[in-house]
Amino acid sequence: MASSSSSGLTFKLHPLVIVNISDHYTRVKSQMNPPPVTSTSATVNGVEPLQQAPRVYGCVIGVQRGRTVEIFNSFELLYDPSTHSLDRPFLEKKQELYKKVFPHFYILGWYSTGSDAQESDMHIHKALMDINESPLYVLLNPTINPAQKDLPVTIYESELHVIDGIPQLIFVRSSYTIETVEAERISVDHVAHLKPSDGGSAATQLAAHLTGIHSAIKMLNSRIRVLHHHLVGMQKGDVPCENSLLRQVSSLLRRLPAIESEKFQDDFLMEYNDTLLITYLAMFTNCSSTMNELVDKFNTAYDRHSRRGGRTAFI
Amino acid sequence: MDSSIAQKTWELENNILTVETPDPSSDSIFYYDEAAQAKFQQEKPWANDHHYFKRVKISALALLKMVVHARSGGTIEVMGLMQGKTDGDAIIVMDAFALPVEGTETRVNAQADAYEYMVDYSQTNKQAGRLENVVGWYHSHPGYGCWLSGIDVSTQMLNQQFQEPFLAVVIDPTRTVSAGKVEIGAFRTYPEGYKPTDDPISEYQTIPLNKIEDFGVHCKQYYPLDITYFKSSLDCHLLDLLWNKYWVNTLSSSPLLGNGDYVAGQISDLAEKLEQAENQLAHSRIGPLGPPRKKEESQLAKITRDSAKITVEQVHGLMSQVIKDILFNSVRQSNRSHNEQSGPEPMVEA
Repeated sequence: MASSSSSGLTFKLHPLVIVNISDHYTRVKSQMNPPPVTSTSATVNGVEPLQQAPRVYGCVIGVQRGRTVEIFNSFELLYDPSTHSLDRPFLEKKQELYKKVFPHFYILGWYSTGSDAQESDMHIHKALMDINESPLYVLLNPTINPAQKDLPVTIYESELHVIDGIPQLIFVRSSYTIETVEAERISVDHVAHLKPSDGGSAATQLAAHLTGIHSAIKMLNSRIRVLHHHLVGMQKGDVPCENSLLRQVSSLLRRLPAIESEKFQDDFLMEYNDTLLITYLAMFTNCSSTMNELVDKFNTAYDRHSRRGGRTAFI
Repeated sequence: MDSSIAQKTWELENNILTVETPDPSSDSIFYYDEAAQAKFQQEKPWANDHHYFKRVKISALALLKMVVHARSGGTIEVMGLMQGKTDGDAIIVMDAFALPVEGTETRVNAQADAYEYMVDYSQTNKQAGRLENVVGWYHSHPGYGCWLSGIDVSTQMLNQQFQEPFLAVVIDPTRTVSAGKVEIGAFRTYPEGYKPTDDPISEYQTIPLNKIEDFGVHCKQYYPLDITYFKSSLDCHLLDLLWNKYWVNTLSSSPLLGNGDYVAGQISDLAEKLEQAENQLAHSRIGPLGPPRKKEESQLAKITRDSAKITVEQVHGLMSQVIKDILFNSVRQSNRSHNEQSGPEPMVEA
């Protein structure tokens, strides 16, 4: 299991896949280790709870467009580690079912849980090669390590390397980015922070929205600080000079300001004006509604008993 | 000192419950106890009490799947089934899957087409280790709110006769994206002819004019359930770590661009409602009226609330855009202030 891959494919992973794998693992684990016996539950299996974490296996599906591979979804697979047999009919059945609902998705590879890629994983990998010539292997590490800062998900590809004169397939790591659609982002955000599900007042909505943006900006700031610190260290000479890093930083800086054309300013101001117009109209509506209520209350309070049609003095 | 008092006051006002970090033992909700479920099925405590189920717990996975599926349908209604179990007066939804049918308002029983799919899927699931049964159905109302239409009510009443316990969930993906929070509702219908003893208080939501009649006719035939969400300890951990990569998407999201159509539709709908309200108000000015006057007033008040909601969402979107503009556009390199915009500079100064 070696260094970075050289296939040049970019991988995009959707959070749904991560939650799927995690759910599969939690399910299998809790079925194997039933919770402590309560007074109502009648089933007790006499076996002691297994302490080691079970490995779960499944397929990942998605779309490949050119050099970009986007992993959207996943489903479970039946695999017997002792006989190294993959349940083929099951796989085909599942594939058919998912094709009906998501006709654009293809099987891109498979996933498993564990801490590192193992030799035996090559068997499944080879088995899947007849469906997809170059399958991916997504590995999730389910051990919860509070000190960890990075997602415990790695994507491996297989490459043909010649080792000791024999061409062998080995796993090589690839990097990936997290890709999402707006709806997914909102629901992940919702579940991650378990915000109150009702609307709340306008103030709490505003607070929630701004808090989200604030935390994102804080992250941006901390990342920039790290970079800055590193660059200062490089300048002082503490850290060896790395030209490729410097090139990347330089190109990043050159991209700011992001857009500076006249047309953009015009469009931006137009959008700004549209929003201000909407606010204006809303205020108008609010005012007319209040006025209406006021007039009605006034009429009710100073009710004219006589219907002569003329104006009567009201005191 | 002050800040801690302020924080406590805020927490009290907003009913913040500190959720302890879930330890692995709390993952017991994921365990499927077949015998207990079978026993519950036989007892049928819901048969006597029509308001028996009061709460719904939805897992993180089910919510994510349902919202993504609903959004992928665009403006077409989509539907699917939910799997889970019951726990006292709560229905627990562990997972959801999509059905390959497009729900239209004219189809009375869209599920007839999907029975084969459902059976196949349930079989493969049981083999793969997901032992729960189908416990409800979900569908989407893109852009017009979370409530049950007439067809939905009759479908659900049928379901509640033959497939108990069953739950109906409605998701509005368009409003979710526009408002920045998940629009979801869980409902159960009352059987034919049953009148609820008290009016359930439901959260107000704006319904477009062309659907408002359908909503009004049937809104008393079902009641909403409280929804809470849960996730496993591993999910918690992963989602926390996910934030490390996710903050980019939060900053780069532009709700204004994505939802232009929807907002335009909302505003034109509001304009129509305003005209209606104006007509009603004009008529009521003749002679002093008592209680009937309240109806028109509250309609204008409703319109005001709707317009405020639209505006708030727009302003939020604009705020994000302005913040992005400040962050990324107002940077000026100091040495450029003298020169013109030149072509790309050489990478290495000679």
